[in-house]
Amino acid sequence: MTAPVLEVTDLAVHFPGRTGAPVRAVDGVSFAVAPGETLGLVGESGCGKSTVSNAVVGLVPPTRGSLRVMGTEMTGATRATKHDIRARVQMVFQDPVTSLNPRMSVGAAVGEPLLVRGLASGAALRARVSELLEEVGLRPEHAQRYPHQFSGGQRQRIVIARALALRPDLLVCDEPVSALDVSVRAQILNLLVELQQRRGMASLFVSHDLAVVRHVCDRVAVMYLGRLVELAPRDALFATPRHPYTRALLAAVPEPDPVAQRAKPRVPLAGEIPSPSNPPPGCTFHTRCPFATERCRQEVPAWRPLGESMVACHHAETLA
Amino acid sequence: MQPALIVENLSLALGRANLVDSVGFSVAPGEVLALVGESGCGKSVTAQAIMRLLAPALRQTGGRVLLAGQDITALPERAMRALRGQAMSMIFQEPQAALDPLATVGTHIAEALRRPLRDVRDQVLQMLAEVGISDPARRIDQYPFELSGGMCQRVMIACALISRPAVLLADEPTTALDVTIQAQILDLLRRLAAERRTAVVLITHDMGVVADIADRVAVMYAGRIAETGPTAQIFARPRHPYTSLLLASIPRLTDAPKSTLAVIEGRVPTPAEFGPGCRFASRCPLADDTCRAATPPLRDMADGRLSACFHAEQLP
Repeated sequence: MTAPVLEVTDLAVHFPGRTGAPVRAVDGVSFAVAPGETLGLVGESGCGKSTVSNAVVGLVPPTRGSLRVMGTEMTGATRATKHDIRARVQMVFQDPVTSLNPRMSVGAAVGEPLLVRGLASGAALRARVSELLEEVGLRPEHAQRYPHQFSGGQRQRIVIARALALRPDLLVCDEPVSALDVSVRAQILNLLVELQQRRGMASLFVSHDLAVVRHVCDRVAVMYLGRLVELAPRDALFATPRHPYTRALLAAVPEPDPVAQRAKPRVPLAGEIPSPSNPPPGCTFHTRCPFATERCRQEVPAWRPLGESMVACHHAETLA
Repeated sequence: MQPALIVENLSLALGRANLVDSVGFSVAPGEVLALVGESGCGKSVTAQAIMRLLAPALRQTGGRVLLAGQDITALPERAMRALRGQAMSMIFQEPQAALDPLATVGTHIAEALRRPLRDVRDQVLQMLAEVGISDPARRIDQYPFELSGGMCQRVMIACALISRPAVLLADEPTTALDVTIQAQILDLLRRLAAERRTAVVLITHDMGVVADIADRVAVMYAGRIAETGPTAQIFARPRHPYTSLLLASIPRLTDAPKSTLAVIEGRVPTPAEFGPGCRFASRCPLADDTCRAATPPLRDMADGRLSACFHAEQLP
C-alpha cells in the first residue's frame, strides 16, 4: 500500500469548558487518507467533524495524538516544517461569502498563496491565476472583479481556485455546498468530482449530508460525540451499515422520492445528543441506541475490523 | 370541503420590484401543502403576507387571503392580532431565536392562550407531552437556553398549536436541526396535522422534506408559482422544466456515485432583471421567443395539476 497523504492517530481536541470539565470535541479519532482518495466525514452538528478538519489544517492545536501529512509529523513540528506542510494541505470552507475578502479582487485572492510563497509574480502570476480560474469554470477576465459581483456558486468556485493554487496533496472541504442553493449545489459537486479525477488529489470531505457524501467520496467515516463509530468503503457503508447510529442516520435522511420515502421503515432515534463535556460512560451512543445492553453502558467498545468496515460497537455482528 | 386557507393572486412589491407575482393556492383542513423553492423565490414573504407580518419596506400590491372563507385582507390590525396565534399560527426556522430568552417554556405556551400560566398549567403540561417533551413537569419551568434546538422547536410547535388554529404556517421548521431530530419533528407535525385537522403550509427548500410530508406541492421560482399539484405526481413526472431540472440536480442515495448531476445553468434573476416573459427563460433549455416575450399563465394539466410553462407538454 502507498503511504497515506494524511494519517491521523488517536487525535483529541479538548476545549476548556465553562464549568470546569473540558469539552471533548474530538476524543481519540484515527483514520488515514490514501493518495487520490476522497474520505467523507459525516455526523450531526457538535459531533466534532469540523474540529477534526480544523486540526488537520492547523487551525486548532490537538490536545493529544498525531497528525502526519505526507509522512511528516505535524504536532510539535518546527515552524519551518509546519510552513512547508501547510502548502500541501488547503481548505475550502462552507460559506464562500465570508471566506473571501470583499476588498480583494478575485485575481488577488486566487494569486495570494503563490505570491506569499514567492512562487510566481508579475505576468507569470497573472497567467497562473487565469489558468486556475479556467480550471474551476470561470473566465480569466473575472480576475479583475470583486467577490460581490459573483453569485454564491461562483464565489465557491473562486474559493476552490484559491485552494488549488499551490497544487495541494490534500484538499480539506468543510461543508462546501451546504450554504449553496439546491440548483447551484450540483454545479459545485460536479466540479469537485471532476477535479478529483483530473488532478488525482486526495481530499477530506466533511458534511452532514449523506447523499452528498455518497456522491463524492470513496470511503466514509461516521462520527458521533467526538469519536468515530464506523469507517467503511462507500458502497459497504450504504449497503450494510454496521453501527446502529449509521443505520439511524441513513433512515433519517428524507429522500426526494415520495414513494420510497413513505415506504421506509420509521425508526426514529429517541432523545438528543448528550453534551461533549459530560459524555455518557461506555459507548457514548448507548443513551439513544435501541440495541443497548448493560455492557454498552459500562464498557467502551473497541475500534475493530468487521468485514470491509471498521466499527465501534459491541453488537455489530448481531445487527447484520 | 371548504379550504381552511385560500390565497388568491397575492402580489408583493419592494419599491418597484415585483417580488411576488400573483401567487395563489389553497389548503384543506388536515392537509400539508409544501411551498418549495430556493432562497429569494418569495416563499417566506408569502407566509409573512398571509400573517400580515411583512417588513415595512414590503407592500402588498394585490390579491386576497381567505381564512375559512372569510376575506381577511382588509381586516384592521386589531382584528388581525386576535387571529394570530389563535386561528392561524406560525413557526420559524431558528427555534432558539424565536423564543424569548427571559420567559419560561410554560409562560410561552400560556401566552398563546392569553391566560396566566397558573390557570392553564394542566393544559400546558398536556400539550408538552403531546409534542413529545419528556418530563414536562420539569421542562415547563425551564428557560429556552436550557433546551436543545429540537426541544425548542417542540416548544414552538406547542405554542402554535395549543389554541387549535385552523392554519399553521411552518417556515423551514427543520432546516436548523440535525437529520435525526428533523425526522422526529416531521413525524410530529404530520401526526398533529392529521389528529387536529390543521391545514399546514410548510415552507422548505428541501425536496426530501417535501417527499416525506407534503400532500400537495407548490413549486415557486423567482416570485411566481411554476407548478402545483399532488406530491406523487410532481415527483414522478414534473410538468415544469424548473422542477424537472431541480429534481435531477439532487444527489440521491440510489444514484451512481460520482456521476454527473444535471445542472441548472446560470443563476436566479434578481428582481431588477425580471423581464416581461417567463422568469425561468434565461436558464431554461426549452425557452424560445414566446417564453421571453410573454408570461406563461398557470394552465390546467388535466391531472389535478397546474403548470406555468408554454412547453409543459414537451417534457418527457
